[in-house]
Amino acid sequence: MKINHSLPLEYSTHQNQMNILGFWVFLGAEIMLFATLFSGYFTLVNRTGNGPTGADIFEITPILLETMLLLTSSFTIGLAIHAMRLGNKKAMNVYFVLTLLLGLGFLSLEVYEFIHYVHIGAGLQTSAFTAALLTLLGTHGAHVTFGIFWGLFIIGQLKSRGLTPEVANKSFIFSLYWHFLDVVWIFIFSFVYLKGMM
Amino acid sequence: MKELLPLKQVMGFAFSMILTFIAVTVYFSNMSFATGMTVLLVTAFLQAGLQLVVFMHASETEDKGAIYTNIYYALAIALVTVFGTLLCMIWGYI
Repeated sequence: MKINHSLPLEYSTHQNQMNILGFWVFLGAEIMLFATLFSGYFTLVNRTGNGPTGADIFEITPILLETMLLLTSSFTIGLAIHAMRLGNKKAMNVYFVLTLLLGLGFLSLEVYEFIHYVHIGAGLQTSAFTAALLTLLGTHGAHVTFGIFWGLFIIGQLKSRGLTPEVANKSFIFSLYWHFLDVVWIFIFSFVYLKGMM
Repeated sequence: MKELLPLKQVMGFAFSMILTFIAVTVYFSNMSFATGMTVLLVTAFLQAGLQLVVFMHASETEDKGAIYTNIYYALAIALVTVFGTLLCMIWGYI
């Protein structure tokens, strides 16, 4: 295996470069997936039937907290990659754990939010609006949940294998995924919540 | 310790917080729907671009061209899906 030392570790082999490019292609497909969910939501947003509207059920405080948590976790995973490029395994580990904890905080708030919605009578089957809303939010939440497990396994590999080109590559790809989730959340935050409460 | 907090990323983070703050003013002030939507559209797409360039290192390697082509393609499909749906499901028949 040819290792190019002029590039950061995560790009150092041809396989690694291809993995990163391939993951970008996957993210392209994810953008399209979320675009269809957003389309469905925008189409059905006023079809509330006898159920509540967005303005009735959205609350600014938990939503702002969720946004802050996710934005900060996006920052810390960026710092983790920066630490990785400096070869500082310990700092990278700390930032990774911090990222996952922030992600977990986000997820607990979202679970609380979903329970609250069901509790006040805005479940998945209430109206076309709530169905589209919960599908969009739920798909994003499922991605975050998946990301937390993925991140845990990467921390495990970092411990057992050390900072090899493969582990660095996986960590970098994980960071791409995590930033992408943040981008999707920004659109949910702006065009679902803030637009709904405006 | 200082080398673990690169200025570029700290600035990126500060800027993303500012963008969030601007977006939230839509909720706390009494803007018209059109003004509010304009603010949200601008802040959301700036925020997405910021993540892409500052945090995702999209333009660092020789794959840059392929990565951006892929993103632009995905974005074009996404925008056509969303606005095409709005055009024929919402705006066209009211």
